[in-house]
Amino acid sequence: MASVLHFRTTLPNFTYRRPSSLNELLQLKAELGGEASLLAGGTDLLVDMRSGIRRPKVVVDVKGINELHLLEHTRDRGLVVGASVTLGELGRNELVRFKYPVLYGAIRKLADPSLRERATLAGNIANASPAADSVPPLLVYGAKLELASLRGRRQVPLREFFTGVKKTVMREDEVITKIIIPEPPEGSEGEYFKAVRTSEDLAVVGIAALFANKTEPRERIVRLGFASVAPTPLYMDSVEELFRRDAPINELIKEAIKLVLKEVNPITDVRATKEYRLHLVKYVTAYLLRKYLG
Amino acid sequence: MRSYKYVGKPIPRQDVSKVFGDAIYAYDVKLPGMLYAKLVGSRYAHARIKGIDLSGALRVPGVVRVFAGDDFPFKVGLYAADRDVLARGKTLYYGQPVAGIVAETLQAAEEAAELIEVDYEPLKPVLTIEEALSPDAPIIHEEMSKYRHASFVYPKPGTNIANYLKLRKGDVSEGFRKADVVVEGVYREPLISHAYLENWVGTARVFHDGTVEIWSSHQSPFAVRHLLAASLGLPEGKVIVHHTFTGGGFGGKAGLLLEHIPVLFSMRLGGRPVRLELNREENFFFMAQRAGYLFRMRTGATKEGKLVAHYGEYYLDAGAYADYTVNIGRSVGFVPTGPYEIPNIHVDSVTVYTNKVPTTAFRGFGMQEMHFAFEQQMDKLAQELGIDALELRLRNAIVPGKSYLPTQVRVREDAGDPAGTMKRAAELIRLGKEIKKPKEPWKFRGVGMASFWKGPVQPSNAASSAIVKVNEDGSIDVLVGTGEMGQGTINALAQIVAEELGIPVEKVRVSPARSTDSVAYTWQTVGSRGLFSEGQALLRAIDDLKNQAKEIASLVFRVFRDEVEVSEGKACVKGKPWECITLAEMALGYTLPNGRAIHGPLIGRGSHVPSQTTYLDPETGKGEPKPFMTFGTGAVEVEVDLLTMRVKVLKAVTVLDTPVINPGLALGQVYGGAVMGISITLNEELKVDPEGRLLNPNFTDYKVARAEDIPDEMVAEFLGVGQKNAPYGAKGIGELTMIPWPAAIANAIHNAIGVRINELPITPDKLLQAVMRQRPELLEALEKELLEAS
Repeated sequence: MASVLHFRTTLPNFTYRRPSSLNELLQLKAELGGEASLLAGGTDLLVDMRSGIRRPKVVVDVKGINELHLLEHTRDRGLVVGASVTLGELGRNELVRFKYPVLYGAIRKLADPSLRERATLAGNIANASPAADSVPPLLVYGAKLELASLRGRRQVPLREFFTGVKKTVMREDEVITKIIIPEPPEGSEGEYFKAVRTSEDLAVVGIAALFANKTEPRERIVRLGFASVAPTPLYMDSVEELFRRDAPINELIKEAIKLVLKEVNPITDVRATKEYRLHLVKYVTAYLLRKYLG
Repeated sequence: MRSYKYVGKPIPRQDVSKVFGDAIYAYDVKLPGMLYAKLVGSRYAHARIKGIDLSGALRVPGVVRVFAGDDFPFKVGLYAADRDVLARGKTLYYGQPVAGIVAETLQAAEEAAELIEVDYEPLKPVLTIEEALSPDAPIIHEEMSKYRHASFVYPKPGTNIANYLKLRKGDVSEGFRKADVVVEGVYREPLISHAYLENWVGTARVFHDGTVEIWSSHQSPFAVRHLLAASLGLPEGKVIVHHTFTGGGFGGKAGLLLEHIPVLFSMRLGGRPVRLELNREENFFFMAQRAGYLFRMRTGATKEGKLVAHYGEYYLDAGAYADYTVNIGRSVGFVPTGPYEIPNIHVDSVTVYTNKVPTTAFRGFGMQEMHFAFEQQMDKLAQELGIDALELRLRNAIVPGKSYLPTQVRVREDAGDPAGTMKRAAELIRLGKEIKKPKEPWKFRGVGMASFWKGPVQPSNAASSAIVKVNEDGSIDVLVGTGEMGQGTINALAQIVAEELGIPVEKVRVSPARSTDSVAYTWQTVGSRGLFSEGQALLRAIDDLKNQAKEIASLVFRVFRDEVEVSEGKACVKGKPWECITLAEMALGYTLPNGRAIHGPLIGRGSHVPSQTTYLDPETGKGEPKPFMTFGTGAVEVEVDLLTMRVKVLKAVTVLDTPVINPGLALGQVYGGAVMGISITLNEELKVDPEGRLLNPNFTDYKVARAEDIPDEMVAEFLGVGQKNAPYGAKGIGELTMIPWPAAIANAIHNAIGVRINELPITPDKLLQAVMRQRPELLEALEKELLEAS
């Protein structure tokens, strides 16, 4: 640690590369590994470079690669979002709005319109912040990521992607190429509840809730995803299982809150106390369950 | 208020250059051959500097010089000269500048920054008022007895007390004996930031003849000039301070800021221009912020609802430098209560050093904070006495001409209308009337009010002056020294000129840009005094100009001077509208039909100094502290959501007693003041960890209100009760607009859910804790509603 505090206005020196094909990108990644940082929207990278958290020798701009701008929907695969697709594009997309309302709601509550025009969905995921707003909705929709390297491509369920604060299963030579969001359950509904003052704030607690087949216990789908309650975004399988039980809804809600409170592990930080976060988790979750199931 | 053609009209701003991007700010000023300065800060809140190694930084290509504390062995400051240029011997707060790099480019300076090595011996940091005052506290300013300070500042060397003010009126023990009800309270506000849009920047150069020139972001060009001269031992006449548009100040750019740093660096580098520009994080660390507050109060009233005694211990947490904050400690000491007459008052106001960021003036100069405490005392008394909150205020409100100030001087006859603002605000917020219930059972609504008063806190001789020139086309240039930082004083001044001379306001130019060597002097642009003080100087300058025009017309038409009147941009013989000369014809003097010219260019000059204000007695505070007081009342309706623990202000009402020159711009002030006040109430706090490290030097974690926080409804009224010597009766309002909100919101929250919050900001965390302690049954009801109901 330097023995003085200083805050940069300018960025430190780096080399800028802009590959025009995925293969070129993967070669750069293979060569440079951790010395290269990927630049999509830059809304996290440039902030980190200025503050000194990251100091890449090479900044690789991925926006020149056509394949990564892909945004398409098919019945069998669902929605496929290329790594360079911005949150602004998704927020204007009618299909996202009507088919994936929980994701749509989260995007509209993420930062502000000008920032969303630069920030990408892949970037919001890759940054691996526990507070990422887009992640809880993607968790409840069962999204997968496609990772690529010169060694080949693989798919990883988002629920298995995060390993800690700012940590993921990605290897040094890998990049995210696309996010695959399966077709949502028939007739599903839900919302993303972001506990903040205004959308520009980072989530104190974020809760994504998705519901389908509410009246048919064995078919019932209740999925909850959380931001800012643990070192990684959280998905609660146990809740989904619980709600398949044929029991009075009130009982199930009470039981679910117990499960949720057992799994979350929020901290006190500069934004909120643990106590307040637990209050939100408990009552907002109950509020959402009651609103859609009650 | 009488009807005028320009005064009292919502005439749009004349200075539209910001809208078109034409406006020049200090940041835009770049000089040929300019060098860049960069400051680096201490890693410890309190430490001895055992050594500092600059050699690594000096080796970076492009670096010209690196300075450290010993290069500048003197202090700078305004009321208490306690500031080091760069830390000398000891560091006093986390982030305090310990070295300064000057380089050919900013990037080179920044590369060098991380190579500076400092060897510290950490000392125990003093982080709270209580710690600072404890008998075994480490002494932060060990050489306090050597500091220069203003005559009205009373520091206590050997302690952490930067100023101690006593106010005594009547006999407080006797007063409490008469009291039937006494309420006590402890209230706190944290250190906060002004959060102005424009970070500080200054570019200086030194000429070979020793003339110093600087462009910087500040409020008060002449104060910068004087303090630069006084601190660096330069004659005022050799210092030229250029004022451009300022992107917000809110008190944070009053007095001298960091101007001395680029000036000193330039002096040591043969006069080469040096620029110091702060980024947002640096602005949090290197610029002074607002003090924290602690109030202990005891207030007594009779059962008839008459206030009889008030006892207070007020403390300001000034951080590492109290240079300006000592005067705020005085401000809250000599106006220690709301706008009520209380016969017996005993208040000690103590300004305390801690190892935190330095502090300075902030919009309201302590009055928002004092009223946050006192106006809650009023509501508590009303509750105890079973008297309506409005009624209790009315029974005690200051009566102009009759009541005595806490400083024992009678309130002037034409001081204003405190009671009128209370009644009208209560009416507008529907105080005591039924409130609509939200449909969610965990949401509650309530209303609350807070009355207030404030006038400028200034030296008794704080002066202003103005020059009015007529151009060849009959247009007018006005030269005044007041700074333009968004408040719009220059527009109001233009309206006054237009009104007085009867010319279109478009023909009056009050340039926002000014230099101390070319405009008329004013003390400072602070304390809501600009229009009041400059306005009076300007009216005298206009009179002077009119007299000159009358003189010319009297010579031309062979009449006495008092037979001439000036209106519609002309000097005419009374009753003979065909015997007129226009201002344009007289601009450079008047040429008679035979070619002989008389008089020369028209130029009016006027000045103003408050003649009523006096020094205050050091033992009792007795004296006249203010040239005027503006009175007002704010009221809010809030909605408290127990699910998210958030408070939303639905409606904000402001009633001020004064008339205004431009109601459009005055409304702008009111809206801005309300949003700022709401933001301070609900969000803002500079947070430090147990080592004294500032945790939120950025707008990600230092929360400032955004568009969504603006109340659904904002209402403002000006009652038009003016003070005779004020220009068109208008008293200042700039700061007044943000004073009542914390108190009004706290009172409204109590009205909504019966929970009293004594500490800002009222964050969800704090509200949750307060509800758990004071009304746990509300949480049980929420539990029942969401988890048990079927």
